[in-house]
Amino acid sequence: MKLTVNGTEHEVDVDPDMPLLWVLRDTLGITGVKYGCGIAQCGACTVHVDGAAVRSCQLPISALEGEVTTVEGLSNAETLHAVQEAWLDHQVAQCGYCQSGQIMAAASFLDLNSDPTDAQIDQVMSANLCRCGTYPRIRAAVKAAAAKLNEGA
Amino acid sequence: MSRIGKIARRTFLIGSAAIVGGVAFGAYYVNKAIPNPLLDDLKDGEAAITPYVKIDQTGITLITPRADKGQGSYSIQAMMIAEELDVDPTKVTLTPGMPGPAYYNGAVMDEGAPFPAYDESWIAERVRGMMFIPAKLMEMQMTGGSSTVKDGFVKMRLAGAVARETLKQAAAQRTGIARASLQTADGHVVLPDGSTIAYTDLAADAAKMDPVTDVKLRPETEWKLLGKKMDRLDMADKVTGQTVYGIDMAVDGMVYATVRANPGIGGDVLSYDDSAARSLRGVQQIVPISHGIGVIADNTWYAFRAAEALEIEWGAPNYPATTEEIFAELEATVDNEDRFDHRQRNDGDVDAALEAGDVIEVDYRIPFVAHAPMEPMNAIVQVTDDACHIWTGTQIPLFVRNHAADITGLERDQVYVYVLPMGGSFGHKLEDTHVQQAVELAMAVKGTPVKLTWSREEDMTHDYPRPAAVAKARGQVKDGKVETFDLSVAQSSLMTSWFGRLMGPLPGPDATITTGSWDQPFEIPNYRVTGYRAPDMVPISSWRSVGASGNGFLHDSFLDELIHAAGADPLAERIRLCMHEPSRKVLEAVKEMSGWDGPSMGENRGRGVAFCMSFGVPCAQVIEVTNTEGGIKIDKVYSAVDVGTVLDPVNLEAQVFGGVIFGLAHAMNCETTYENHAAQQDNYHVFEGMRLFQTPEIEVQALTNGDKIRGVGEPGLPPAAPALANAIFAATGQRIREMPFNKHIKFV
Amino acid sequence: MKKTLITAAALSAGFTLAALAANTEGPDPHVDVTLLEEGSVTQADGLAAWERIYEVVSHPRCANCHVDETNIPMWSGPTYGEARPHGMNINAGDSRIGAETLMCSTCHITSADFDTPPNAAPRYGIDWSLAPVEFLWYGQTSVQICAQMKNPDTNGDRDWKGLVDHLVHDAEAFGPVLWGFNPSGGREPAPYGLQAHVNDMIAWGAAGQPCPTE
Repeated sequence: MKLTVNGTEHEVDVDPDMPLLWVLRDTLGITGVKYGCGIAQCGACTVHVDGAAVRSCQLPISALEGEVTTVEGLSNAETLHAVQEAWLDHQVAQCGYCQSGQIMAAASFLDLNSDPTDAQIDQVMSANLCRCGTYPRIRAAVKAAAAKLNEGA
Repeated sequence: MSRIGKIARRTFLIGSAAIVGGVAFGAYYVNKAIPNPLLDDLKDGEAAITPYVKIDQTGITLITPRADKGQGSYSIQAMMIAEELDVDPTKVTLTPGMPGPAYYNGAVMDEGAPFPAYDESWIAERVRGMMFIPAKLMEMQMTGGSSTVKDGFVKMRLAGAVARETLKQAAAQRTGIARASLQTADGHVVLPDGSTIAYTDLAADAAKMDPVTDVKLRPETEWKLLGKKMDRLDMADKVTGQTVYGIDMAVDGMVYATVRANPGIGGDVLSYDDSAARSLRGVQQIVPISHGIGVIADNTWYAFRAAEALEIEWGAPNYPATTEEIFAELEATVDNEDRFDHRQRNDGDVDAALEAGDVIEVDYRIPFVAHAPMEPMNAIVQVTDDACHIWTGTQIPLFVRNHAADITGLERDQVYVYVLPMGGSFGHKLEDTHVQQAVELAMAVKGTPVKLTWSREEDMTHDYPRPAAVAKARGQVKDGKVETFDLSVAQSSLMTSWFGRLMGPLPGPDATITTGSWDQPFEIPNYRVTGYRAPDMVPISSWRSVGASGNGFLHDSFLDELIHAAGADPLAERIRLCMHEPSRKVLEAVKEMSGWDGPSMGENRGRGVAFCMSFGVPCAQVIEVTNTEGGIKIDKVYSAVDVGTVLDPVNLEAQVFGGVIFGLAHAMNCETTYENHAAQQDNYHVFEGMRLFQTPEIEVQALTNGDKIRGVGEPGLPPAAPALANAIFAATGQRIREMPFNKHIKFV
Repeated sequence: MKKTLITAAALSAGFTLAALAANTEGPDPHVDVTLLEEGSVTQADGLAAWERIYEVVSHPRCANCHVDETNIPMWSGPTYGEARPHGMNINAGDSRIGAETLMCSTCHITSADFDTPPNAAPRYGIDWSLAPVEFLWYGQTSVQICAQMKNPDTNGDRDWKGLVDHLVHDAEAFGPVLWGFNPSGGREPAPYGLQAHVNDMIAWGAAGQPCPTE
């Protein structure tokens, strides 16, 4: 089975039912993507498939169609993605475990909708669970990232 | 001797030691300076220096032994050292180091002393000082109790200062310029002519010298890092997916594993059939372990799938099968004099007052709750004939080491624990059952590292939750004032359960049964708080803010009921009753912040105030809610805390946000219940906590009227639940006396 | 009597069944369709068929995604007590696929393998979405749904044969119709089964789509 992650093609020999999450983490050693719940409740495993947010714990490797991007591949070596930059500016992370999923969800969202309302931010980011309580800063950082993306556009 | 000198001498000495190619600065064991018969049996090796700063030709390393579970401890420990050492903390290496007894945490046990934190009398201070000794005897290199800053504030800055002055002395010897004429900046000694010598270049010289220990710590006014807005040192890694948590660690040649243990905690495996599991792809080995069955496989998911396919017949554990039976036992405990545990508050004459009649009497309940941090329990263990290596995120590395030594039969110094960052804990990682399981699995495949990961379901059904409690409260009001307050709290002993797993049950009463209610800084004419101890039932543990997480709700909710009964203003009456200046100031601060003008805010709206002092930190909160068609909406939270000295204002705010949200989340909708001995809430769909759309705006103010520095990881939590309940009462007239509140009212 | 047998092979064209290969023992999408002549079924039998159809479409497996213009899907099941809005503040938006905020497909993967663990996000063979807003079933009475379903303005411009066709096509694509009867993950399936439901749709149609009056 072949898959492309962060621009690199990999050949893996795994059970077709294995979720993408575990192919990434245990087979390929790409660990920015996290296991939190295994049932699409927490969003810690969010990656992009062809730019769209997908919970990799739900996607059997056999059903994968498209190129995978994880948080490690969201930005290039020189510059951070606007969402990551906003996360840094707002000092969002506490334990940080959910944050790669939060960031991937926010990045895909702002790609769909670069000028979101507060209600829309509350909708999309409520799908990702944080147990440390970073929500007030997530809210602020998504707004800041949206503003920044619009500035650049 | 200066005050700081005394503190240093009482707890540790700072010194230096030569290491390969360089020098290390750190703490010596206290008994080398002050003979102490209690500590005579220490082995020689344990008296060696345990460093906080290591410098060699290749670079500078700061050692931050308090584990980071998200609260920012790595960062703040490094900042404390760097403040005195004059290094750029972003340009040095940070490591938690190997666990060692010299990293013991003297502050974590303070809460065990029988004095409320606001009592700074001589006797209270003396007893708290003695708590250093039991902590050390227990080798308590532990992260918890909001103690990292409190414990490290002097110790880590001194280590930085000793290192700096010794390096300057080395430069003085090399250049012939007096040490007093030398400055330091950015990892260099600066000579009067402006030229510099790198610390790394002086390390070998410094290693040959006696350390300079007559150092003075810089006053707050000269701080360059501390007290200023600062970026956490772990932030960049966390937003780019580079942080290696325990669950991300990889060791050459490792195999993947999971376990299914008896959901009746401590019960046995009666029989099992692994034929289906064995035939699944990727399965290497099925290994029976204590109370369960392990699966070793090529990939964690293969292990999970095979574990699901195991058919196991479980034996019953030795505790009641259902939540209902457990609560019946708690009901039978409260006010049962045969089960009296302690009474640390007994002012006036409560019995005589209650005899007089007009008694307000109500019952409260606190449920079990799981910790459920985002990162499930995990550990990598490799066992060989003469060593055991353990990679895991833990708050208790020394207990992990001891338990691994017991299981493997190795000596303790043959066990190496590498502490990794944690994806949250909230007290979960004060336990190491999973590490012990991983050790058992690793012994079955000796030489091969085994990476154990619990599934989310395994994690939540094998948590040791916050204890459930039942309370009875009685009180009276007179002339518009609170006159009598009597609270009886019944629960099983968390200290017996938890320490029973760590090292053996602690003797004596368990203060945590009433921590957060007996020790509040109020003066009420007749004021009594009593703890009753139920038998050991479901094994239980510490949960963020420990005793105060339940007691804060009990104490402040009932106080609010009495104040309303008295017809007094909830905020004004709390201020009137408060006899501790810094506490009164936080109450006054939330009054100011919220523009408080009484609990009523118009139709369907209301505000509540609550106060709790925990870990020595007074915290007051005002919460505003609206009763909407879809349920209660939490609009706004105002929170004031006093930590004595603020080291990192940005992270302080984050920790209070976290405490408030954690407190509200579980008060709203989380509990762990038991059927057939097993926890019923096994994943987040039935343990929802709080989501972003429910998160109110939160405003935080930090005060510094307290005269001691304190940690802030927990104190933001206890007032949140009662402030919410009090606000719901103000908005709806409905008084909620049981968590989770959604058993009684709907939330948006 | 006119008989039309629609075969699985004839209907599968046009649908991508990428994940079908992995599906070794999944639900059977095959339906035998024996159309009945209009008027060959009595009003009483037609109404009885409708009541069974109503039991199916008002079942949580079907109705939870046939919701109103708030675009909020519903959740129900033994772990939740009464039905409740989808957790996580989910809103599928006017697009009904979450395009405005978070695509349904973020969690609900497109796969003909229905076999998901308990409490995981369910999935089926076409892209997950809410039904069009005019196909409102959630919280509606038998009278209301019957009126909606026989009206081409609110049923996707279909006569009764079109409704039968829709069921068959959807099942062949491993879509929500087939999933509702085979939801996996320990969920309670919609009652009667796919074949019986198609038979009822035919009987109701052949009876002239009679609706209850109250």
